[in-house]
Amino acid sequence: MSPPEKIGLVFNGVWSQYAFATAPKYRDHYELVYVHGLTYERIRRYAALVVPFQSHQPALAERQAALYRFLADGKTIAVFGDSQADWLDARWEDRPVDNYWWVKDPTRPPVAHTDATHPVYRGLSPRHACWHVHGVYTRIPGDSRVIQTNDRGEVITWQTHACGGTLFASTLDPIVEHGIQQIRHLDHYVDSLTAWLRGVKPEGAFTVAPTAYGGAWDQ
Amino acid sequence: MLQALVVSNAIVGLEAMFPSSERVRYRFAVTGPDFELDLAGIDLLIVPNGSDHVALYRNRAHVSAFLERGKTLFCFDGWFTGWVPGHRWVHDNGKPTRAVRYSIGTDRHGLFRGVDLDHFQYYHGISGWWACGYIEAAPGAEVLLHDTWGRPVLVLDECTTPGRMCLSASGPLGEVVGHETIPNGLMGFYQNLLAYVLATHSTPAHVPA
Repeated sequence: MSPPEKIGLVFNGVWSQYAFATAPKYRDHYELVYVHGLTYERIRRYAALVVPFQSHQPALAERQAALYRFLADGKTIAVFGDSQADWLDARWEDRPVDNYWWVKDPTRPPVAHTDATHPVYRGLSPRHACWHVHGVYTRIPGDSRVIQTNDRGEVITWQTHACGGTLFASTLDPIVEHGIQQIRHLDHYVDSLTAWLRGVKPEGAFTVAPTAYGGAWDQ
Repeated sequence: MLQALVVSNAIVGLEAMFPSSERVRYRFAVTGPDFELDLAGIDLLIVPNGSDHVALYRNRAHVSAFLERGKTLFCFDGWFTGWVPGHRWVHDNGKPTRAVRYSIGTDRHGLFRGVDLDHFQYYHGISGWWACGYIEAAPGAEVLLHDTWGRPVLVLDECTTPGRMCLSASGPLGEVVGHETIPNGLMGFYQNLLAYVLATHSTPAHVPA
């Protein structure tokens, strides 16, 4: 039996996105899709799509039809971080990023409630389910499932099936932070996400392949 | 007044890092399909933290020609593609961030004058959160900062091309960085750097033999 198709990682040319997708642990699971070359024909074969933090929101808005056609095929798109443009039927608002909650008051992380029955969050400890957030959603589609909220009840993570497939959105930033490797405990979240999207759980530690740096880009 | 062009890939907060001032007029070149840098009339090209290094790689000939004209490049990001003449940036997670400390190498132009290195050291209040990875610097480049293991993380190069390059190993720098308003921190270094570029930008850094 052939392995499942890879996950397409929408790519804004940002090094942390590149570092993640080229890491030996993840390179057999993810494939970079440069956002300015994204078409439905380019993405249709992927098992799922991930739109990471630090994406090019105006470019995504221009490619909204391709993304929603992918969803209409019954597939999944997971969106992380900010979403300033209105290509999602939702409203995102910025908030200061709190990197100190675990110093100031470890009992009050930026997420107060997590629906641990969702496959991404099943089995994750609170620390692994949230490190910091980039803003909140102040409006989401009416039929959405709310998965994470902060202590003011603002939405951090949600999901809807209204467009055919599954649209999952969160203001967490697992791909970018995992690529940066300054927070070193994100394997739990990312591996759970990958298993949910592709049906295969990555194994081992995150390592960097130095030979992947300083070369050409010819895709 | 310096005419600066900032490459933008539309990430949130990028343009707020570079408000124009009496010393610098910042303009933004937003990436897109068939993106092409127009550097006519520009003194300073800035590649900020979080940039698109596919777009930069495709424009490497324009960057090289710009430097050949004696102009200045700031790259405050991890350039994973080979578009920066003479230098390579490499990501690395083999060292614990808690052990990261920076030391000043050479500083012939006083760029760290009045700057407290702790603001680099404990960026975001956490050690090892300013730079990422390290730079394999071109021979002759001035290593302004190196890390605990002697690896360059901030360099000034005035010898590889007739232009000047200031490169960080993805350590963010700008008029404003995050919510920081500390004058003797990252902003202080950036202002010293701008003052140096203002004083020298009309003369080539290096005339090839």
